[in-house]
Amino acid sequence: MRVRSRLPFALLPGLPGCTGRQSVLDTAGTDAHTLLTMFWVMLAGLVVIWVAVNGMMLVFRHLSPRRHDEALARKMIVGGGIMLPTVVISALLAWGLSVMPDQRAPGDGLRVEVIGEQWWWRVHYWPEGAEAPVVSANEGRLPGGLRTEFDLHSDKVIHSFWVPALGGKMDMFPGRRTMMSLHPDEAGVFRGQCAEFCGASHALMAFETVTMPPEDFAAWLEHEAGPAVPPEGEVAERGAVVFAEQGCGACHAVRGTAAQGQVGPDLTHVGSRHSLGAGILEPTVENFAAWIDHTGDLKPEVEMPAYDDLPGDDLTALATFLMGLK
Amino acid sequence: MKRVLQTLAFLAVLGAAAGGAIVFGGLYNVSAREGHWPGVPFVLHTTFRNSVDLRAPDPSVVPDLEAEGMVALGAGHFEGGCKVCHAAPGQERWAIPTVMVPHPPHIKEAVGTWSPAELHWIVDEGVKMSGMPYWPATRTDDIWPVVAFLQEVDGMDADTYGELTARPSVPEGAPPDLPYCAMCHGIEGRSGNPQIPRLDIQPQAYLEQTLLAYAEGRRDSGIMHVAATRVAPAELLNLAAWFAAQETAEAPATPVDDLNLVTAGEALAMRGTKEVPACTSCHGPKAEPRAAEFPRLGGQSAVYLAQQLRLWRDGGRGGGDRKNLMAKAAQGLTDADIAALSAWYAAQPASR
Repeated sequence: MRVRSRLPFALLPGLPGCTGRQSVLDTAGTDAHTLLTMFWVMLAGLVVIWVAVNGMMLVFRHLSPRRHDEALARKMIVGGGIMLPTVVISALLAWGLSVMPDQRAPGDGLRVEVIGEQWWWRVHYWPEGAEAPVVSANEGRLPGGLRTEFDLHSDKVIHSFWVPALGGKMDMFPGRRTMMSLHPDEAGVFRGQCAEFCGASHALMAFETVTMPPEDFAAWLEHEAGPAVPPEGEVAERGAVVFAEQGCGACHAVRGTAAQGQVGPDLTHVGSRHSLGAGILEPTVENFAAWIDHTGDLKPEVEMPAYDDLPGDDLTALATFLMGLK
Repeated sequence: MKRVLQTLAFLAVLGAAAGGAIVFGGLYNVSAREGHWPGVPFVLHTTFRNSVDLRAPDPSVVPDLEAEGMVALGAGHFEGGCKVCHAAPGQERWAIPTVMVPHPPHIKEAVGTWSPAELHWIVDEGVKMSGMPYWPATRTDDIWPVVAFLQEVDGMDADTYGELTARPSVPEGAPPDLPYCAMCHGIEGRSGNPQIPRLDIQPQAYLEQTLLAYAEGRRDSGIMHVAATRVAPAELLNLAAWFAAQETAEAPATPVDDLNLVTAGEALAMRGTKEVPACTSCHGPKAEPRAAEFPRLGGQSAVYLAQQLRLWRDGGRGGGDRKNLMAKAAQGLTDADIAALSAWYAAQPASR
């Protein structure tokens, strides 16, 4: 009995998880608001039904355990057991179906193509009328107050795209396109997470989503579309040489340089992103160096091989160069 | 019943006593001079023949043994690894193998009527208790050049063998082991044989790592493991320095006539795909600096490149300290990719 009475308190430390950058209860977009309203309504209804059912059990089994009128019992079974659930579930279904088109409403111009990889995200921005995308990776940027379409697919296995604070989730399939749209209405940085088990590092396949005022977004997109700005300083310049010597460009593109690889994430502006390694590390020189030195320890079965033969100075230089790609 | 058991037990004790006397009492005479008892050579030889017959690979796996350079490469390995026991075509065996039991047959006699697949099995697996060693590597595709050579042995005279295995005279001051290496690779690192990689395009660091990896068995090749372990490790470094100091001949090692293949290879090598990294980022040709641990591929032999790419893709190639990079890079290659990349790289002008 003592244990049971303490259980609710044991759950208290979990409550802060209900707020923050990755919570369906702390919303920052129209679609998430809708889903949250739905959640509260259903929760409230659930509480009412739960109290009613348990209340009746209490009344008929314990407080008034005599033989009841059979006609009343039959009415209660038909009314409460057949008609009420039919009405409630039909209403919920109608409501649910009615908001589903909103979750895929056409956007206001921008389309973002997101491709699930093992275990990271290719992100291609297609502004209205664009013939070629602005290529980025592992981060989503969205204009606030506008609806943005997401064109989702995957390379090898099924992934699922989910930014809880902004909206629902949508699966990403190899060889098939799925579509959703998001309408953020608050500026901020929100965490997204792959929501479909996709292999050893599924839990480490995340990304940051940055929502910003439309004019800031336009400026950001213009910069993102441009070539890399080589960072200055002796260490960063040495890092650029290490990048070339070690053949990093075989897998990674840094636009405006000879590096045009397509296997891994585009690094043209990697230093300006809010995370490293698809949402798993803070972007610092130390973390860049650690990532390059022992990728597999930080993300099991990752495709990128470890460069653990690089001397420490070269590693730091390379990390400094990458951090400088703003 | 009891009597039967008693008799069996008595015989078992007697057998164990006899065995013990032979093993621990030294009763059996292991003298090679004494040879085998009558009938034993027949039993051993018949067992050997039938064992090979049963286990040899299917003839369909035999590659084109008449491909250019196969016989010469096989002869080079034979010269360093096999001649000591089996003698070269046109020569008599020296004294030692003739007093071994069983004595290694002269190579013409050894090849006998064995098929190429059977010869491959014998060279690969060796023959227990005969002195015939097994192939000193896990990878067995480079046994085929040896088989190609063995196929030619029957009609080969001493002069032809001498030409195939001639050790060129080397300039003054060259490493003392250079003639041995130059037998296959040429004094300047240009073999002229599509089966044998050219070395005049490689930086010193790559050659050093590679020779040490061959010597220590970290790179898998029976031919090069034998070659690299005949030379002292310090001498390997001198040889690496020698070949790295040779002038790079710009001309490609092998002419390539299939232009479609070359064009397909160019796109893949220069830009890569979502599955395949761009080769030129590490292996050139490119304007930016390249690490000296990465081999240069421009102008390399197409046959050698294709063979190495298959080994990388299929696993177990081994290599230097950075082999994890290439193992990852090659995993998505198709046979068509390999043909195209090899053709393109072979057609490129060489540069170090």
